[in-house]
Amino acid sequence: MEHVVVAAQNGGRVLAPFGRPLRARWVRAALVLGATGALLAACSSTSPTAAERTDGHSTTTAASSAPGGVLATATDAQSPAAQLTGAGANSIDAFFTRVFYAYSAANHGVSVNYSPAGSSVGITDIEQGTVQFGDSEVPIAAPAQGTGGSILQVPVDLGGVALSYNLPGVGQGLKLDGPTLAGIYLGSITTWNNPAIVALNPGVNLPHTSIVAVHRADSSGPGYDLDQYLIDTGGAAWTAKSGSTPSLHWPVTSVGVGQQLNTGVASYIQQTPGAIGYVEFAAARQAGFTNVALKNQANDFVAPSPTSIASAGAQAHNLSAANFVIVDGPGAGTYPLANFSWTLLYQKQSNQTVGIVLGKLFDWVTTTGQQQASALGYSPLPANVVSLAHQTLLQLQTSAGQPLFS
Amino acid sequence: MSSSLGHALALPAPDIAAARRELVRQTARRSLTRRRAASRAIVVVCGLAVAVSLAPLAALATYTIARGMHALSVSFLTHAPTPPGIPGGGISNAIVGSAIVVGLATAMAVPTGMAVALFLAERRGPVADAIRFAADVLTGVPSIAIGIFAYAVLVEPFNHYSGLAGSFALAVLMLPIIIRSNEAAMGAVPRDLWEAGLALGARRARVVRSVVLRGSLPGLVTGNLLAIARAVGETAPVLVTIFGSTLFTASPLGPLAAMPLTIYTDGTQPYPTAQQIAWGTALVLLAFVLVLSIVARVVAGRLNRRTR
Amino acid sequence: MAPTLLEEVLPPQLTPVAGVRAALERRRARPGGRAYAVLRWGGAALFAAVVVGLVISLADGSSQAFAHSGLGLLWSGTWDPAHLRYGAGVFVLGTLVTTLVAIVLAVPIGVGTAAFLSEFAPRWIAAPLSVLVDLIAAVPSIVVGLWGLLVLSPVFARHVEPFFKKIPVLEWFFHGPALGPSMLLAGVVLAVMILPTVVALSRTALSAVPVADREAARALGGTKWQVVRSAVIPGGRTGIEAAVTLAMGRALGETIAVAMVIGNLYTAPHSLLAPGATLGSAIINTFAEATPGLDRSAVIALALVLLVITALVNAGGQLLLRSRMRARTA
Repeated sequence: MEHVVVAAQNGGRVLAPFGRPLRARWVRAALVLGATGALLAACSSTSPTAAERTDGHSTTTAASSAPGGVLATATDAQSPAAQLTGAGANSIDAFFTRVFYAYSAANHGVSVNYSPAGSSVGITDIEQGTVQFGDSEVPIAAPAQGTGGSILQVPVDLGGVALSYNLPGVGQGLKLDGPTLAGIYLGSITTWNNPAIVALNPGVNLPHTSIVAVHRADSSGPGYDLDQYLIDTGGAAWTAKSGSTPSLHWPVTSVGVGQQLNTGVASYIQQTPGAIGYVEFAAARQAGFTNVALKNQANDFVAPSPTSIASAGAQAHNLSAANFVIVDGPGAGTYPLANFSWTLLYQKQSNQTVGIVLGKLFDWVTTTGQQQASALGYSPLPANVVSLAHQTLLQLQTSAGQPLFS
Repeated sequence: MSSSLGHALALPAPDIAAARRELVRQTARRSLTRRRAASRAIVVVCGLAVAVSLAPLAALATYTIARGMHALSVSFLTHAPTPPGIPGGGISNAIVGSAIVVGLATAMAVPTGMAVALFLAERRGPVADAIRFAADVLTGVPSIAIGIFAYAVLVEPFNHYSGLAGSFALAVLMLPIIIRSNEAAMGAVPRDLWEAGLALGARRARVVRSVVLRGSLPGLVTGNLLAIARAVGETAPVLVTIFGSTLFTASPLGPLAAMPLTIYTDGTQPYPTAQQIAWGTALVLLAFVLVLSIVARVVAGRLNRRTR
Repeated sequence: MAPTLLEEVLPPQLTPVAGVRAALERRRARPGGRAYAVLRWGGAALFAAVVVGLVISLADGSSQAFAHSGLGLLWSGTWDPAHLRYGAGVFVLGTLVTTLVAIVLAVPIGVGTAAFLSEFAPRWIAAPLSVLVDLIAAVPSIVVGLWGLLVLSPVFARHVEPFFKKIPVLEWFFHGPALGPSMLLAGVVLAVMILPTVVALSRTALSAVPVADREAARALGGTKWQVVRSAVIPGGRTGIEAAVTLAMGRALGETIAVAMVIGNLYTAPHSLLAPGATLGSAIINTFAEATPGLDRSAVIALALVLLVITALVNAGGQLLLRSRMRARTA
């Protein structure tokens, strides 16, 4: 009966010769796709395979009673296996990508997936418990709490914010200070050969090009730093618009162009002659930008470099999550726009293996990993900050409240 | 054409008539020339419109191929990303991630869509009309709204980004396309064949399987392929649900990478290597979507040939 | 094997119709039939649940923002999350402006293309050309956005926008620095994406005009263009209106490509060369980092506004399409 009906539809011809091969063709295509997928999965990438194994090899140090053993660089290399997920600051992305890659190469069971979507995203995600660690250029104000309890804030990186500009014919190190920069971002200084800028840069041939001031449309640590700098040095015109406390959201959104993330700002500057914007120094260095030499507290005009950023970091004598600002610091060679980057972890780790891996990972990052910093455009952490990081990581606990490390 | 008769009657009419005829003829000729010229001009303008319509496609294809070719290589397709400065990276995680997310979405959307299409093809009435109208309006819903819906349903309650949430979003996106195209294909099967099957005593399900599905298979395949082609290129729904991954992961229960995400993240970076990866991914994505569209068209062409 | 129809009608007491009915009743009573009905109704119910769920989810998510800002959320021109002031006015304006630019560009070109393909071109040209135009619709919007950002934007900044600035009569529309990312660029990118919709639907509308109408116009001595103008376009007008409306709906819903080329300035644009923001671009850029609670609720409110506007426009377009089809079969 089936064939009768079907044949009636086809004017007498039986459908089977068309129908079956097509179905078989689909089956074959599906098999090929499946095989390709399996092949791709098997053909391992340059980064280590990332299967989650929650009960991998434990550490070999038996002497200590804490589950994670002693938190020391020597034992950091022996880490249980885990795949970690983190989100946070865009500015630290170049550093994190490199050190996580290096750590994974040394510890084949550990792989880290970091999403550099911005400091606010990192804070939101860790507070909700959506990721296992977050990162922010600006620490969470006390009390740092989330759905999983209190949050530890570990300084892991020292970086700077460059003011990059695209002016063909003008070289590195254009000099600017607080009032001129405020004028640019408020829209009162509109061309590059404005008398205020010319006065700071005698001998430099500044063109009559319009200034395009680029800001971060999303909330950002670099914006926070620049806002702080302009509040300190930019005069009443700036504080009238911005208020007297800095904010992660750029206060003057009606001037210039807004772009997402450091990468968006950098791309725009790269394409647009006359543009100036604030970018993490590592990104500016990688893109080969010309950067402003900013006036610091000692009235020197200092360009960003690992040395001048290190000089700013050295001023952080009593660094803590409550006392974290190193913008506009004292010292002759200090770059005025520098900041630490803070990794956010829950103190009580519900998954013990993950907690151990996190602790060992960030202990490694703050010690051995700092060797990668200068090459990328960051600066190694000063010794007092390294010990602050170490002390903070020692506060990691199991879900029962026992210390993870000794 | 004044005749001797007219002259004989001494009437002026023939001269005036002739003059009038001549005037009409000349006016008509002038008018025709004018109208023809105007028509030709309009045709030229419309031809220019066609050229302008096709120019963006040509430019897009040219740039994507030209810039994407540099990035393509076997290692590009089979290796996971590496940090900037370390060579040998690729987009294998994005390709596999896209395959998983779209594959799951297809598995969710195709059966549901076909069931609804069957419902619409069989029944008339206010319920069917309402559902048809809803499907038509749902085609226009912005994909970011669907992404937020998936976020609210599958990410927020569990505080966990996953490929599954992305699949759900894409399935909701694909549903109206599948429903409309499948309903059209099923509706093209002549009603008498349905009724013949029923009259011969077959159960409804059996009629559907033997008559309707068999007969509309090319149309079903076309519609489903086009829905897949649309889903694989969508960025907004996966942007808010799957989190992205720099690692090679293949579990839909956790974060995944996807090709549109890679294009978005790398394309907005200022570094030439990252932009090259974006172009390469765009080329892979574009090639895949165009191949799917062409296959769908070929299958639909077969359908047309069969019914002719 | 169940009794066939023939066996059913054999008993002389039963009329054939009753026999058929009885046989069908027996078929329908079988469990297999019920499972199939469950499948069909289940699918429809699932789909209805998804649609209703979408609306409810967005409404629920945005309720907090509406409670905080009231209906002013819909038209207020201040978007300042840092000070808890939310208003969608700027984004609605940006959406309308970019959509308008896209329509102004795409409709004349699209209808002209459709006229050429359906009326003026010989079949051997029309078929491959229409396939090519349809292929634009297949290009993912992220690829169009990438091309717009990396290729079109510099071209616009260096050549196109300065060109428009030089035209004196259009100065009200085109002033300000030529930055590249702008409402104009976003409108152009949108126009590229909605063009296939306009062309395909207009072409259907134009070719659906009865041949008799065309022949009548031709018989009266009309040239090709006169035939089109007097017979085809009036006959296809409803279809073209539907095409424009649906294309507008498509333009409203485009988010990612616009987000990449619009310049992300959250203030009302003063010129077409200024950067701005649309509902879609604002949602994409702010959703991930919005803190759960009021911030995120405000972003979901933007999504709800976009959903309502798009649904209304699309519903209008669909109604136009249906009225055209009804008029044809009437």
